Amino acid sequence: MSGIRLEGVWFRYGKGQWVLRDVNAEMGEAGITAVVGPNGAGKTTLLKIASIIYRPVRGRVMAFGTDPWVLGERERLFLRREIVYVHEKPILLRGTVERNVMFGLEIRGINKRRAAEVIRALASELGIAELLNHDVKHLSAGQGVLVSIARALAVNPRILVLDEPFAHLDYRRRGKLLGLLEKLRDEGKGLIVSTHDTHLIMRIADKVILVDYEGVREGSLSLLDQFS
Amino acid sequence: MLPEIAEVALRSVAISGAATLLALSWSLPLAYYVAERSSKTIATISEALVGVPTTLIGLLLYFILRNEGPLGFLQLLYTPYAIVVGEAILVTPLLVAVTYRVLANAIATYGELALSLGASRSQAMELAFTTSLPSLAAAAIMAFSRAVGEIGVALIVGGNIRGYTRTMTTAIALEVAKGEFWTALELGLILVSLTVVVSLAVRLVKGLWEL
Repeated sequence: MSGIRLEGVWFRYGKGQWVLRDVNAEMGEAGITAVVGPNGAGKTTLLKIASIIYRPVRGRVMAFGTDPWVLGERERLFLRREIVYVHEKPILLRGTVERNVMFGLEIRGINKRRAAEVIRALASELGIAELLNHDVKHLSAGQGVLVSIARALAVNPRILVLDEPFAHLDYRRRGKLLGLLEKLRDEGKGLIVSTHDTHLIMRIADKVILVDYEGVREGSLSLLDQFS
Repeated sequence: MLPEIAEVALRSVAISGAATLLALSWSLPLAYYVAERSSKTIATISEALVGVPTTLIGLLLYFILRNEGPLGFLQLLYTPYAIVVGEAILVTPLLVAVTYRVLANAIATYGELALSLGASRSQAMELAFTTSLPSLAAAAIMAFSRAVGEIGVALIVGGNIRGYTRTMTTAIALEVAKGEFWTALELGLILVSLTVVVSLAVRLVKGLWEL
């Protein structure tokens, strides 16, 4: 198996109400999986479980055929490095755009010269090359999203998980990101994208996971009609 | 009189500074544990103990450190070390109560960011701490101010010994007892100035860090 499978996953925060109940879904194989649904239905939670950030309370998540939560810390880390999650609201570190994009590579101990080459190529692809030396304090929300995506792509994950990536982007940047996602899909990368913009996502998605208050369903693009 | 005041002021800063550092050494790991596990029990206990009377801590420590007490063999009673330990205990609830919130926020944002990019648990913890440094410094100032301004511990386990354990607050109490109100007031002003200067210095460092 090449992607992520959720098997009977239940999740809640602390002792609160269940956010996800008995979720069964597959995502992240080469191609684009769209995750859609209303606010507060559990899309972000689902994505964080798929990204091995949250541990299911019940059930299990299988990443590339392995349950990461039965592994030791070190083995789980190697598995987690194959799946990178990008937050809806960009979380940027103090300093320059370059420092932020380099952060994931730094974590992996990749040398700075090699990292600089990767960063320059990615930045120009995302249209933020001129921002590399800028302080993140002066970025717009849309620019922050692109920096977060560049930071995630810099570590070349097998699966990229994007939480509402279009939310803060203007029309021109949405088109550019859409093109980039298609290119990544064609290169064989697995993409999981949550969004409210069903018209935009239906142009590129291969399958759909609908997360609503009644539960989680997966299927073809026709599922989008139920959400729209 | 002036050299003696300077000596007492320096001793107060040294004792309270050491107490703050000592308290940080156990409060930060404890606060991180509370923040990571969302341990409401420890958080609630810490918050409840923030206002504990300094005389009570001094008294309890006296029972422990006196010759007949369990730690009497250490011969710490009526030494500056006893005040350091007492003040460190005094500011621990304050440090834990303030820093666990700071660290909880940092773990939820930067810790999670680090994990999402493939960081190990220790790398995520390091990022949570480094991004919280300005707020942790502010918490340390609060703890220092509480320590330098307390009198119960310094008086009970320090003994107000001239040239050895006398601090600004015990000196003020002594001057008041002697009826030297103006001297006591001068000492009080110096004490306030000290805390303001330390606070400004740390704020300056914090400002440079955030640039």
